[in-house]
Amino acid sequence: MEIATRLSNEIARYLDLNTREIQLTAANMANIDTPGYRAVGMDFEAEMRQAMAGVDGNDTLAAPQVFQVDGLIVRPDGNDVSMDRESLNLAQAQLKFKVGAALLKSQYSETMNAIHADAK
Amino acid sequence: MNLFGMIDQSGSAMQAERMRAEVVAANMANAETTRTPNGTPYRRQHVVFAAGNGDSSFAEQFGQAGQLGQAFPTQQTALNLQSVAGDLSGSGTVAPGVHIAAVVQDSAPPLKRYDPSHPDADAEGYVSYPDINPLTEMVDLMGATRAYGLNGSAVQAEKSMIASALEIGK
Repeated sequence: MEIATRLSNEIARYLDLNTREIQLTAANMANIDTPGYRAVGMDFEAEMRQAMAGVDGNDTLAAPQVFQVDGLIVRPDGNDVSMDRESLNLAQAQLKFKVGAALLKSQYSETMNAIHADAK
Repeated sequence: MNLFGMIDQSGSAMQAERMRAEVVAANMANAETTRTPNGTPYRRQHVVFAAGNGDSSFAEQFGQAGQLGQAFPTQQTALNLQSVAGDLSGSGTVAPGVHIAAVVQDSAPPLKRYDPSHPDADAEGYVSYPDINPLTEMVDLMGATRAYGLNGSAVQAEKSMIASALEIGK
């Protein structure tokens, strides 16, 4: 009997990737006034595909590819972090995290229901 | 997964912005100071931000930020940031926040006003005042406040994520 189903492993990886994304966003926000700093980001869809492909093999999540985001306007001091973009990313990643957490919770509550089934 | 490391990052940014606001307040308070403990008029101060949590060598820090009034990156700064960003990829041990590399004094010459009756007047009757423009300081303060609020909201987001992760087990 498995407590952790394939679906709950996938959701756990989704949560891990969201956490990494929020870490990058927080790093960008922290460096909004640092001269010469370039905003960093990751390709969520590509990382997700890779993570889903590897979920059966029980290997740990590979470190996501972090690269400098292009297409941003560089200010005179060399910094190109956009406050609006980072705030939006933060809000989205936070909501995605909550979605993942809610899904994972429903998975575990199913298992708990099965354990408590005879009490009903 | 290092959720608490993110709070450290945002906390370091809030600390750095607050120090920046303190320096602005010191400048505004001393806008008319003609005499400091070492005898010269007050010199405008400003801060230099650097990515990372201040662990790089002292010589490196001073090489980047020691020039008076320098705010533009050197090649060394760019490389430093690149290595810091590269460490973000899930190692979980590096928390590259931001820190104040140096508080530098402005090298601009002081403003001279003619006032022979002032006790600090020199031989020709000119008194040296610091060259502090209140508008520049106010804009700097607004920038520091905005960045402080931004990182504060990041801390709120991180807290709520940790709370919702705790909810899974309930």
